[in-house]
Amino acid sequence: MANGLGKLIKTLQIDTRLLGMIGAFVAISLVFHIATGGTFLTPRNLFTLTLQTASVAVMATGMVFVIVTRNIDLSIGSLLGIVGMMMGILQVQILPELVGFGSPSIWIITVLFGIIVGAFIGGFQGWLIGYLAIPSFIVTLGGLLIWRGGAWWVSKGTTISPLDPSFVMLGGPTGTIGATASWGLAIIGSLLTIYFLMTARRNHLSHGFAVKPVWAEYALGAILVGGICGITAIMNAYLVPSRILERRFAADGLEMPEGYTEAYGFPISVLIMLAVAIVMTIIAKKTRFGRYVFAMGGNPEAAELSGLNTRFLTVKVFALMGALTAIAGVIASARLGSAGSSLGELDELRVIAAAVIGGTALAGGVGTIYGAILGAFIMQALVSGMGMVGVDAPLQNMIVGGVLILAVWVDIIYRRKTGDS
Amino acid sequence: MTTPLLEMRNISINFGGIKAVDDVSVHVMPGEVVGLLGHNGAGKSTLIKILAGAYQKDEGEIFVDGKQVEINNPRDARAHNIETIYQTLALSDNLDAASNLFLGRELVNRWGLVDDTKMESESRKIMARLNPNFQRFSEPVRSLSGGQRQSVAIARAVYFNARILIMDEPTAALGVHETAMVADLIKELKTQGLGIFLISHDTREMMDLCDRVSVMKNGALIGTERVEDVTEDDILSMIIMGKNPKQAA
Amino acid sequence: MHKSIIAAAVVAAGFGSAVFADGHGITVGVSWSDFQEERWKTDEAAMLGAFDAAGANYLSADAQSSATKQLADVESLITQGVDALIILAQDGGSIGPALDAAEAAGIPVIGYDRLIEDPRAFYLTFDNVEVGRMQAAAVLNLVPEGNYVMIKGSPTDPNADFLRGGQQEILQAAIDSGAITIVGEAYTDGWQPSNAQRNMEQILTQTDNAVDAVVASNDGTAGGVVAALAGQGMDGIPVSGQDGDHAALNRVAQGTQTVSVWKDSRELGRNAGEIAVALAGGAALADISGAATFTSPGGVDVSSILLAPQPITIDNLNLVLDAGWIGKDVLCQGVTGVAVCE
Repeated sequence: MANGLGKLIKTLQIDTRLLGMIGAFVAISLVFHIATGGTFLTPRNLFTLTLQTASVAVMATGMVFVIVTRNIDLSIGSLLGIVGMMMGILQVQILPELVGFGSPSIWIITVLFGIIVGAFIGGFQGWLIGYLAIPSFIVTLGGLLIWRGGAWWVSKGTTISPLDPSFVMLGGPTGTIGATASWGLAIIGSLLTIYFLMTARRNHLSHGFAVKPVWAEYALGAILVGGICGITAIMNAYLVPSRILERRFAADGLEMPEGYTEAYGFPISVLIMLAVAIVMTIIAKKTRFGRYVFAMGGNPEAAELSGLNTRFLTVKVFALMGALTAIAGVIASARLGSAGSSLGELDELRVIAAAVIGGTALAGGVGTIYGAILGAFIMQALVSGMGMVGVDAPLQNMIVGGVLILAVWVDIIYRRKTGDS
Repeated sequence: MTTPLLEMRNISINFGGIKAVDDVSVHVMPGEVVGLLGHNGAGKSTLIKILAGAYQKDEGEIFVDGKQVEINNPRDARAHNIETIYQTLALSDNLDAASNLFLGRELVNRWGLVDDTKMESESRKIMARLNPNFQRFSEPVRSLSGGQRQSVAIARAVYFNARILIMDEPTAALGVHETAMVADLIKELKTQGLGIFLISHDTREMMDLCDRVSVMKNGALIGTERVEDVTEDDILSMIIMGKNPKQAA
Repeated sequence: MHKSIIAAAVVAAGFGSAVFADGHGITVGVSWSDFQEERWKTDEAAMLGAFDAAGANYLSADAQSSATKQLADVESLITQGVDALIILAQDGGSIGPALDAAEAAGIPVIGYDRLIEDPRAFYLTFDNVEVGRMQAAAVLNLVPEGNYVMIKGSPTDPNADFLRGGQQEILQAAIDSGAITIVGEAYTDGWQPSNAQRNMEQILTQTDNAVDAVVASNDGTAGGVVAALAGQGMDGIPVSGQDGDHAALNRVAQGTQTVSVWKDSRELGRNAGEIAVALAGGAALADISGAATFTSPGGVDVSSILLAPQPITIDNLNLVLDAGWIGKDVLCQGVTGVAVCE
């Protein structure tokens, strides 16, 4: 029976590490579901979980590239703080004067500004690492101190609040797309998945390569489409609290009809996270830049000898990390509804842990985007679950630290057994 | 006198005050194999890396087909159809054979995205010629044997229509059978008109494979002789004593 | 060559200090625990005001949240020849050696805002237990019956437990009679608003929104709590805070936060400055006007002045405006229907 399952997994060409992580996530969820008396695996809690994970997951995808190239970035928490602070000041104190309070261009300009600043600072750190050959640990450790101090300096320690109402939709539950649009996206996503499975198969056949048996293609397609629809169903099962609906009607001067309900659907911040995940996966697997990142991580000398400009590559990797940090800063400050100088504190540790739990090796050369996202979810499920059960904060930290070490140890054993070095 | 396929004239390079290569001149004709011999640290690898674009010379000129060229990086070398098989093979262990073969020169589809299936298909074709038993195209190369890794490195050079091939200790890590395969490959490439620089510490192998040999010691060129004109002992004395017995007196 | 210059400087400083009784020539040293936090700049400005008025000089050091560095900072200030020390202790339990050094040099010490359980240090603070009482009282006033959630401060900060104790005093009777049930309670790591938001979200999920009031221990955590409540359309239920953060005062004006207990740190700083000058002039700890004896949780009697905090609710927002603590445009952003904002 176990052998048959193993063969099934091999035929479907599913990565066993991915299965392991999904299994871990399911196991943690079940444990907490029982411990909380049935409130963990509810649409509401799962919805909230995705909101809580989004910003760390976005940064974790960038950290995969950084770690794959045998570098580390300790500065992202502080970078998030200072970019978040600058975006806060821009949208609250500067732009309303220029374009009028509540103008829809405020959030667009703010987000673009944040991404440019984040990419610039990241690229600068990358230049110090790639061209001046200062170790990344040192440059980003300095960055951690400099940008956190800078955040306080820029804001004089105050918290900017409230933020622009359109901007806030990018992070919190006020920014969701509703049930219809969510199903629309699910359908588009499912169709695209099927299309890509078919073209990949056709491509393989045209070159005369071996392909999966047809039933396996159908099975894989069914699993993926089922997953997409399942997640969409969960997001749509969480209904908007009636209090909020009543307020919305009252604001328009109307009465809410009896028994009226509305589903949340996908939050915008989660859609941002999914978009980032898809784009980063394409970059990692299908672009030359991504290929060079992994080549450089596997053997920097070989990369140089093959004509790759590894120094410029480093700049780009860190600039990308900076841009993703800015996006995460948008999500984090929008969710909180404010930009304070402590925003993002200690995030670098959570992000590195997420990437590493997701299978990125600190030695470099190995890592997946979907692994990092799953790693972020596993960590957040652990922390949120413990909060629901009432585990004290110091004990929570101890458990998270223990899980991190355990996860990496399991990963090392797995690599040894499957013959990766 | 036909034009050399490649000529390096009066090449010198300094590393922190030490002349790693000191006024060395070598050339190779089409269809010729030139061997570079010498102790460790004699400067053979350094000279070859200058040609491959990994180092930049301080003095001297390089001529391809009689025309002077500048080689400042590995891309320039490749642009002049100079391909190198390094002693360490320069493979990225975490990537598969096809990715390594095309590293830096990936095939892309019309969206600008890397076309993995096409690259694998092309790799299969070329590997079929060099190493017909090789089938492990989707595994990372770190799980391949030394000989298989070697064939990937060779395939890379051959696929891209090298005209000048540099081979640094190609048989050092190979068994008897694989060494024979490399020897056969070199003979075939000769008939195709390639010019080959061969570095090895195995004097006998050099005598078998090369047309001419150049001996270096401490960065300087001791002498270049046709293989027919010298014995193994002559070569050894050039390597050890640093003097060319053919030029004595 | 260098050593003799330093020696000469130390001697000159020693001679120069404590010569004039009115403060001229007096130097006061302040050892900050972590100057990066928002409020200490205000405290410093107030202290400087008092020093300038008395003609005293000011030296300072920032321990950057390290108790070990703070010891070195204090020793350095003593070496530079201060006449009085104001210490904002990073860790009151580890500051003993600093007090020993000060005592050996004959320098009086003020324990600023954070308790130093040692009779040699004059304890000057806002009554943190009283802050807790005020927070709970303001909320209890609006919700005498129902489900309460207690969002506490950092588990490593003793002030968090002082506040919780004061809150408990006020709520005890109602808890005993069953009018109030505490359905959720959590520390907030590092006082971080995002941690408070996440903890509040989980409590709301776990209790299925059966929450009627939240006693949050400061404005930062209150901000996180309000964000979590807003996600469920529950913003507007009573929430407490402290510090008089501008964002929090705005929330008070909007009605999403009930009270922010304001500790005018300018008062604290000014008092510290004046007391430091007096102590440097030779006054004894118990002789400072207004001083009383405070018995610490560890049973140590210290001379102290506990300043009274001021709860700010929607009814007395004019106090912070009149005191120049916050500007009207910041206070009233997005606020309608509040008299003080018209």
